[in-house]
Amino acid sequence: MAPSADPETSPSISTTNSDLQPFFLLHKAASRKPSSKTRRRIDLSPKPSDASAQEYNDNLPFDTFKLLWSNTQSIIKDVLKNLNTTVFDGIDKWVHASFDAIRASRTPDFTTATSMYPIPNNVPIGAQIFTALLFTKNVESVDDISTFADLGAHLRSNGCLVANLTSIDFSAKNGVGGCLKTLLRQFLLAGIDAPEMSILASWYYEQENYDKPLIVIIDDVERCNSSVLNDFILMLREWVIKVPIILVLGVATSVDALRNILCSSACLYLSVCEFNLGTPAERMDAVIETVLLRSCQGFNIGKHVSAFLRNYFLRHDGTLTLFVKALRISTAQQVFSEPLSFVLRKLVNEEGTEGLNGDNNLLREPAIKRALELPSLQRFCETRGNCIDWVSALSELKRLHQLWSSLVMCLYEVGRYRKISLLDLYCEMLKLKPQNFCANDLNLVEKDYATAVHNYQSPGCLQDNGYVGRAFQMLGDFSAMELCKILDRWEMLTRGIAEIHEKVKELQSQMTLEEKQLRHDLRKESKKPTARTYKKDWTSKSTLNEKVASFLQSMFREYIQTIESIPLHEIIFFDNVDNLHTALIGDPRRRIQADLLESRKFLKCSCCSKNDGVLVPSMHHTSIMYTLVQEHGDLVNVHEWFHSFMAVISNPPLQSKKKLRMSPSPKKRKDSKEARTKTDASIQAEFCRAVTELQITGLLRMPTKRRPDYVQRVGFGL
Amino acid sequence: MAKDESPQVSRRTTRASLNSTPNSKAPQEHSKATNPSRPLTIKDLVFRGKSINLDELINSFPGRRAQILELVQFLGPLNSPMIPLFVYGGASTGKTSTVLYMFRHLKRPFIYCSCVSCYSPSILFESILNQILLHRKNESGGYLSAKRCERPSDFVNSLGEALTALIDSLKGNMRKSSPYGRMVYLVFDHLELVRQWDKSDSIISLLFNLYTLLKIPEVGLIFISRVSLDTFQSDTGFVEPFPVYFPDYTEDDLHQIFMSNQANPKLYSSFLDLVLRPFYRITRRVDELSTAFSPLFKKYCEPLGDLVAVPNEDMKRKLFSHLQPFISLSLNETFTISSQPLLKDRNLRKSVFKKPGVCETLDEIDFHMSTSAKYLLISAFLASRNPATLDASLFDSTGGTDNRKKKRKVSEKSIDQKEAKEQEILMKGPGTFPLERLLAIHQCITSVGEYSLDDEELQNGELGADGSDSGSMSDILLQLSSLCSANFITKGGSCPLEGSTRYRSIVSEDVVLKVARSLKFPLSKYLYRR
Repeated sequence: MAPSADPETSPSISTTNSDLQPFFLLHKAASRKPSSKTRRRIDLSPKPSDASAQEYNDNLPFDTFKLLWSNTQSIIKDVLKNLNTTVFDGIDKWVHASFDAIRASRTPDFTTATSMYPIPNNVPIGAQIFTALLFTKNVESVDDISTFADLGAHLRSNGCLVANLTSIDFSAKNGVGGCLKTLLRQFLLAGIDAPEMSILASWYYEQENYDKPLIVIIDDVERCNSSVLNDFILMLREWVIKVPIILVLGVATSVDALRNILCSSACLYLSVCEFNLGTPAERMDAVIETVLLRSCQGFNIGKHVSAFLRNYFLRHDGTLTLFVKALRISTAQQVFSEPLSFVLRKLVNEEGTEGLNGDNNLLREPAIKRALELPSLQRFCETRGNCIDWVSALSELKRLHQLWSSLVMCLYEVGRYRKISLLDLYCEMLKLKPQNFCANDLNLVEKDYATAVHNYQSPGCLQDNGYVGRAFQMLGDFSAMELCKILDRWEMLTRGIAEIHEKVKELQSQMTLEEKQLRHDLRKESKKPTARTYKKDWTSKSTLNEKVASFLQSMFREYIQTIESIPLHEIIFFDNVDNLHTALIGDPRRRIQADLLESRKFLKCSCCSKNDGVLVPSMHHTSIMYTLVQEHGDLVNVHEWFHSFMAVISNPPLQSKKKLRMSPSPKKRKDSKEARTKTDASIQAEFCRAVTELQITGLLRMPTKRRPDYVQRVGFGL
Repeated sequence: MAKDESPQVSRRTTRASLNSTPNSKAPQEHSKATNPSRPLTIKDLVFRGKSINLDELINSFPGRRAQILELVQFLGPLNSPMIPLFVYGGASTGKTSTVLYMFRHLKRPFIYCSCVSCYSPSILFESILNQILLHRKNESGGYLSAKRCERPSDFVNSLGEALTALIDSLKGNMRKSSPYGRMVYLVFDHLELVRQWDKSDSIISLLFNLYTLLKIPEVGLIFISRVSLDTFQSDTGFVEPFPVYFPDYTEDDLHQIFMSNQANPKLYSSFLDLVLRPFYRITRRVDELSTAFSPLFKKYCEPLGDLVAVPNEDMKRKLFSHLQPFISLSLNETFTISSQPLLKDRNLRKSVFKKPGVCETLDEIDFHMSTSAKYLLISAFLASRNPATLDASLFDSTGGTDNRKKKRKVSEKSIDQKEAKEQEILMKGPGTFPLERLLAIHQCITSVGEYSLDDEELQNGELGADGSDSGSMSDILLQLSSLCSANFITKGGSCPLEGSTRYRSIVSEDVVLKVARSLKFPLSKYLYRR
């Protein structure tokens, strides 16, 4: 009965794959009080599911989602591609330069190249492998899975032969033969039983590829098995003159990682050149700029969601993949939960107000009814003092949204100079309240500015007025050159928005005029004492800066409203954090425990569904066991546990109802006929199986040598 | 001995010079013969390219005269049998090149196998057989070997057959006055790697035994290894190969080696005068030295307008003062981590030019890590460095004062004992820790540091506090796995279900300090200093 007598449990454990992620839960160190230690009951209070509004048209939301998401996806793809192109071009240039260098030193003929012995060269320097280190700048490698495939495609299109290897190919199990096999399969497009470098050499010369470099891309060097990678590099080095192989290594962290992996002789053979991909923050800004601000395609995220995502990005995940996933989930949730979301399609298709007018769906009864319920529309109509005309409200929404995003972009142009990220600005702009903004003038006190800077340094701290205030503050510090550049950018950004565009142009012309004037003055005064010139220069500069700043402020005062005051903002801005949170992160550990306790809800068998909460022998055994565990504390006495399990199993349901409360005496159990039908051995087998299952789900830990008759509970806290 | 040697050598040179005349046509021939479909002949087993005479051979390997003469003597005149040779010496001392050039000089058929490229017994066997059978892997043959050969016994049989056939054809050629003779040589390079292939050393003893197993006097065996014969577990009952030792180069040898093929010998010589002596004390490997020298020489030439001019004394002095800071820097790097040459160029640039400024840029970690991953990294580092018994005192609410008390106690002990302990811990390296300890420390330091989810949520008053709180637990395990894959933390290979997996932080202190600085986390307060 003691677990040491369970022979079948231990082998099943040892055979499990070691790659399996540990899935056990652990105590939270401080937060929970020991009062609940003796007895932990789990109360399941399912959240009221808000099965939301009925649908007007079954396919409509789905189509809307498909349209929206395919748009967004293609935009994101393009953005990321554009971000990488400069780096890729750099690598391509370097590859061809290195290839020329290899070829310049020596071009072996076919027979020499395929012979096994190395070509002795007169130069004392051993041949080096040209190696590009591509820093992905992120510890997490999820974002860069496609990057390396893209790089391969890019190089291939520029006349290189490319093989993409990953760390899986460099495993200790397969050794250097494994990675060589993948390499040959990708180059030769044929499976080779006994992979060897000479095969590559003879293929290279047989196919007359003389003028093409061979590129080997390894995605994530840190994860490779170091000895295999070392062997691989040493082997390549023996052949590098015969076969012009060039390595591209993706490095997630820093150069030190490579040094830790490779032995000195392997390092010696690499001639290294470094390339940097954009940081995750840069990519994030680019995605936000194009998806949420530039495209103005309708769907957007509200302040709660954006703050949540920002926090999650800075604190927990730090990958763009998750952000994109979140965008997708929120798009879907918005489309399916908001009945009016079909309007988004119209906004995307840019048919303008006429299109909106002409659409039948808009005028249908339920749509209007739903629209009337939206508080923002009611407010809008009240202020306008006219009856509800929600088509005009829609166009107003579109206009205001456009204004809003272009102003955020303008501000970002300013903030860019001092490395304020768009993510921060965006989140803050969403939260901005008009009264806050008015207080936040250029004459922001110096002290406030200092605190804002200080707060910025502490990671992930979002301050009211922090970033926006700083951006405004910056406007005062710019030189004339920088101001000119900013104005040029503004001019580009505000194209199509009549209200701002005109004023920007005006400001621009004023600027150039004054600049000319200034230069003229400077030339005149160049011979006079410098102090005076400087002063004049300074004053004129500051007036210019002031002008620009006050312009931006007036624009803000005029056009920026809180999101809540924009009519129909509910359609565009998704702001349900809780839903997104559960969808995005989920809680698998909680789910496992909850489902174990409520197995009858899923099994839906006839016997258990009638009596809820009471243990019946016909229930799933693991579920019975786990329910019984709830009676215990941290440590579960196996013997007791087994007996209570046996009691439940062997008692008929009617009796068990009575008996469970008082611990059933063994004599009574013996009397019951059920007990005889099930032998002790089979019950014990069931018991062992259930224990193992609980262990596999990470809820239990097997007895240790110190306490052989106790198992330890590892998963707590629902 | 010396008397014997000289006539032989002269004989050899004459033959070599004789041989060189018919072979001078070879280059034109093989430029025509690049057609891949041409079948291989015995000629392909001979070293391709222009033949050289003994003087050229000796001249092209400075400091290797004695070894070359010894080898040539062992190989003997044409058609003379030889005992197996074991050529050994440190890395980059010219073993392989010397042996290959010797065959270039002798013009005899040989078969070369590097145990780096042939990374497993079967590949080694097949590669040898392919060469002997004059088989070429090509597309039409599906890149297959001539013979599949997995087991050593098969290999010995096939090798015997193939060699007899080859030697027969060589003998047949002899009658047609072919210059190659009837000897075939097998060269095994990087033999030290074979020891790692199998634990039982069966392959090593097989290779050493080949001479007696084959019983073909026309086969010569040459083993090249970086380590001496003693390190190979010698089995009984085979002819021990005769060792030929390649000693490390002397400073003069290195000077000669580096001076060969220089565009501007005077300039390079003055450069070598500066760098060779200090570097010679650190490493004698030609490849290491040359990688160290090439960026330094570029630096050296920087102030010069043209690289052809011969520098005068004045110029030399100027160049020396220009180069000096870089020499000490790169010396240090070579000395501390042997893998440093990898980035010498970069580091040179970085550290030399950023010295005057504040080292701010070096303080930043140049890759993205989420805040909680940073905290996790710090806690893993602490768990690895601090003894587990001190956790309670370090992370107690009264942590700081308790810590100081402990320290005073330690300092009261005798210094000798303390040093011994220090040494022991240094030798042991970072310790392992279970997941629970890591999580406990993580919990402690996150609650102490400014990083506290609840705090900020109170500030913002907008985020659902419970939402992000419950998510944090599952995140930590995810982040742990991503730190593991980034090679910051290693995982002990025990069963994950048992929960007794032990972790070890292998990240360097510099990186952790940078991370801590970016979080403004007082790392030194929590680090137990012995």
